[in-house]
Amino acid sequence: MAKNKHRLPPLKDPGPVWASVGFMGLGQLLYQKQYIKGAFFALMELLVLINTHHFIRGITGLITLGDPRPDLPLRERPHSIFMMVEGIIFLILLVMFIVLYITNVRDAAKTQREYERTGQYPGTRTFVSSLADTSFAVVGLSPAMLMILFFVVLPLVFSAMLAFTNYSSPNNIPPANTVDWVGLQNFETLAGRSLWAGAFGRTALWTVTWATLATVTCYVGGLLIALALINKNIRFPSFFRVVYILPYAVPAMLSLMVWRNLLNGQFGPINRMLIEWGWISQPIHWLSDFTLARMSMVTVNLWLGFPYFMMLITGVMTSVPKDLYEASEIDGANKRVQFFKITLPLVLYQTIPLFIMSFSFNLNNFGAVYFLTGGGPTDLATTQSGAGATDILMSWMYKLTLDLRQYNMAAVLSILVFLVIAPFAIYNFSRTKAFKEGEL
Amino acid sequence: MSTMTYRKKKQPMTLGRMMTYLILYAILFLVVILVLYPLLFTASSAFSLGDSLAGLTVYPFQQPLGLRQFERLFNDTNYVQWFLNTLKIAAINSVLSVAVTTITAYIFSRFKFSAKKPLMMSLLILQMFPSFAGMIALYILVWRMGLLDNHLGLILIYAAGNIPYNTWLIKGYLDTIPRSLDEAARVDGAGYFTSFWRIILPIARPMVTFLAVTSFTGPWMDFILPRLLIKSDPKKTLAVGLFELINGRENNNFTMFAAGAVLVAVPFVIIFAINQKYLTQVLASGAVKE
Repeated sequence: MAKNKHRLPPLKDPGPVWASVGFMGLGQLLYQKQYIKGAFFALMELLVLINTHHFIRGITGLITLGDPRPDLPLRERPHSIFMMVEGIIFLILLVMFIVLYITNVRDAAKTQREYERTGQYPGTRTFVSSLADTSFAVVGLSPAMLMILFFVVLPLVFSAMLAFTNYSSPNNIPPANTVDWVGLQNFETLAGRSLWAGAFGRTALWTVTWATLATVTCYVGGLLIALALINKNIRFPSFFRVVYILPYAVPAMLSLMVWRNLLNGQFGPINRMLIEWGWISQPIHWLSDFTLARMSMVTVNLWLGFPYFMMLITGVMTSVPKDLYEASEIDGANKRVQFFKITLPLVLYQTIPLFIMSFSFNLNNFGAVYFLTGGGPTDLATTQSGAGATDILMSWMYKLTLDLRQYNMAAVLSILVFLVIAPFAIYNFSRTKAFKEGEL
Repeated sequence: MSTMTYRKKKQPMTLGRMMTYLILYAILFLVVILVLYPLLFTASSAFSLGDSLAGLTVYPFQQPLGLRQFERLFNDTNYVQWFLNTLKIAAINSVLSVAVTTITAYIFSRFKFSAKKPLMMSLLILQMFPSFAGMIALYILVWRMGLLDNHLGLILIYAAGNIPYNTWLIKGYLDTIPRSLDEAARVDGAGYFTSFWRIILPIARPMVTFLAVTSFTGPWMDFILPRLLIKSDPKKTLAVGLFELINGRENNNFTMFAAGAVLVAVPFVIIFAINQKYLTQVLASGAVKE
């Protein structure tokens, strides 16, 4: 701990510490009379040593990902992906072991310092009472930690690693073939001049455009309705509010699938209605025309999303302190001035965080794409990359994984999407009560 | 609305003002129609006798009505099974999340250990990753564990994914409960678990209820994970079942889908109506910075 401000004098007898450096728990066992602790450390090191060959095999597997063996029958060929998962598990175990090892050395040093200060080693009794506490904490934490390790950390590490492999259909799908590390090649493909790069550029641009349009339309729509309904001369405001909230109360997924059918180019009631009224003579391809599909998506999202902002903005407007208005009235402000100088700035100021959160939500609004248009319509670039006109990065990634088995590209996208989302996530969390008030 | 009390005097109605309000009302009623049309059209489709989208009248409730679509839904599809599956997953997820998260939060709130700070920081970082980031890997992991097409895999992923954020949430709440309360119980001889179970949990009831409810409602309309992990029809969840009922077969199955959608949406709207006041408060508290 060289960084400590108060640098401690060196130990008079560092022997036990060196013993623990040599073999975990040795110092505790031989010199410091810390039998239970020492035995635990020693046992851990023994376990790892006995399984050394597993560790070596696992981690070598992660490095090589197996050699292609077309001569073997399918089920005997090396399965790169399984090797990768196992390799990561052993890597995590190894990291845990290293942490334990450092803890062991630190513990030996701490005990030794204690001994040199007081002249005796901490007794077994104090240790046992602290063991009861420790074991409750360890047993209580382990389910959560194991679940997180397996279902959160491992998948994230694995996904990040896939971005640097060629795990994709048709040539690199185990068990028939192996997967290899390819470095930054996938990133280069996306940045280069291929069809992939074109699809990526278009989809990324649409993702940002979509998120902006979707958020702004819903915000403005909600604001206008809230303003209209707060007007004293409008009768039955609660009737309108109850009706307007309905799209927010119905699960979005269901509404989107209903809209998909309403806008159906062939049999959809909206086209049939417009034809009946004589407004159009040919059915409109709401969801199968490149530009029209994008516009339909934003419009349907407005239907879904304006109630949220209407509710929020109404809430903020009703909480504006009345004395502000009274004071401004004395100063001679009329209603127009009051609205533009008091109400609107306050509403804008207080809803900015939610506007930003809504924007980051829309960047990943899988449902609005997948349930309404399915990402379509398709075009030339779609056939290879799978990205349709209305696909955003998120829905494209989903298709790449599930339909096209281009796992490497999907992984690259997930890394890129994360880099975009992370600042929003940090901003979002830094505002929460849990973060502000919680001490670490 | 006590809102605009600053409008003290009522303005006299001039012709110009009347025109303005007429237009405003016209717009408001137009929005009412636009909002209601898809909902009414779905409701009327659910009770229609015809099976095809093309056969439906464009105005709601202009065709003969009956329960045929519900019969089809119950007899020809696994709808009831999907519903029960989703209910099961939601309930187990709720119980599991509450159990694991509260005890983790309790330990982080009441114990002092050297790994606490790094662990809390890791949770903070992990909760930033969107759930889809590990999608591909989850698929392979679940497959490798033999849990593909098995609800257990789904439940474990739901529960695990929510631990990081919820631990912070609950720990923040537990920190506000005075330590003297559970320390007093421990002086009286209660173990850690007893003081957690008997003292902390009852006090933290509002937060625990919130956690239980959110982890129960979460899986109902989740689509991505069950679509990825569940393959066979009788094991599907509602969201996936309804989606595949209609995907690519719009014309033949829309009315049946509508029946299924109505059955899901109505409870959602009722729950929303009950919680609306609370929800508005939560939303507003997010907006109003202290």
